[in-house]
Amino acid sequence: MIQDCQEIRQSLGAWLDRELGASDAADVQLHLQSCASCAAEKARLERIDSSLKSMLEKEASQVAFEPFWAGVRQRIAEERPWHDRIIDWARGFLTPPRLAWAVPAVIILLLGIFSLEKFFPGWPPVFGQTNLAAVEHIDGHGFNVALLREAKTKTTVIWLFENQESEDETSAEPASSEQAF
Amino acid sequence: MEISEWDLVRKCQQGDVAAYETLTAKYYRRVFMVILGMLHHREDALEVTQESFYRAFRNIKRFKGGSSFYTWLYRIAVNLAIDFQRRQKRGAMDLKENMDEVIVETETLGSDPYRELRDRQLGKKLLSAIDELTPDHKAVILMRAVEGLSYKEIGRVMGCSEGTVMSRLHYARKKLQEKLGSYL
Repeated sequence: MIQDCQEIRQSLGAWLDRELGASDAADVQLHLQSCASCAAEKARLERIDSSLKSMLEKEASQVAFEPFWAGVRQRIAEERPWHDRIIDWARGFLTPPRLAWAVPAVIILLLGIFSLEKFFPGWPPVFGQTNLAAVEHIDGHGFNVALLREAKTKTTVIWLFENQESEDETSAEPASSEQAF
Repeated sequence: MEISEWDLVRKCQQGDVAAYETLTAKYYRRVFMVILGMLHHREDALEVTQESFYRAFRNIKRFKGGSSFYTWLYRIAVNLAIDFQRRQKRGAMDLKENMDEVIVETETLGSDPYRELRDRQLGKKLLSAIDELTPDHKAVILMRAVEGLSYKEIGRVMGCSEGTVMSRLHYARKKLQEKLGSYL
């Protein structure tokens, strides 16, 4: 049973909204008949609701249907391109509270993927290690140095030549050296 | 004979734009009121309300009738308004000025000028007080005060329990009372 003013005021909003059970609603009603202070509180709550409603109703009454519907119909007629719709869809995921979860989750996922390499060498194939050899040119001390690294077999070939041009003219085509691996 | 709302929805699901026009005519002002109360900016509110109706049409095939059409529509509209508010970092002065214009334009002093002046002052104060609430609190107080939705319906729109709706409403009303003080 609701008895004191504080309890009544806790339930006053729900009573006004007709969301209280029958027994509690009867308690509030009875209390309001005898308590001027709580009755004034009820009047204040009613005034908030009625002021808000009348103010917004006045503004909404000025919005004509035809131009409003024309705007909606135009959007329906101009079905937006797929990339705009993807952006709209993605925007929902880019709100700050969701990003707060998403960023650490992505970092953990990436760390997990990279750490798999330790247990399954050569996996995943998209990150770093491929069967293709990489050739790097280093210029130093009058020689050109070329390094050829092949990740899968962990082979490194180093060769020296005097200058890039003469190497290109005299050596076999680079493509053939790649094919050798 | 008047066509039932569910029949209209079925027609819309088959791509009938005329049926959707009838549904839009029925609800556009009600949705606009809630969105305007949340955004406090007439043009933004119109934009978000139109976008809500457009998206509702685009997704109407997914509506299975588990809740009423307007609850489903409010869910789209309120979520869009909340997202819009989070994205849009509009300055408080800009909002206030826009809604002050609304009040001046829509109200003229009538038979009881004293009361109307008081109401006008209360209206301005109320808007700035609502603006300080979080989007979720704004949404529940507007859906209750303006639309008279039940706690169950508000819970469906917001995706929360009736208990959460009750506590959010209690908090929002308490905050508004504190802010409005002697104006009430």
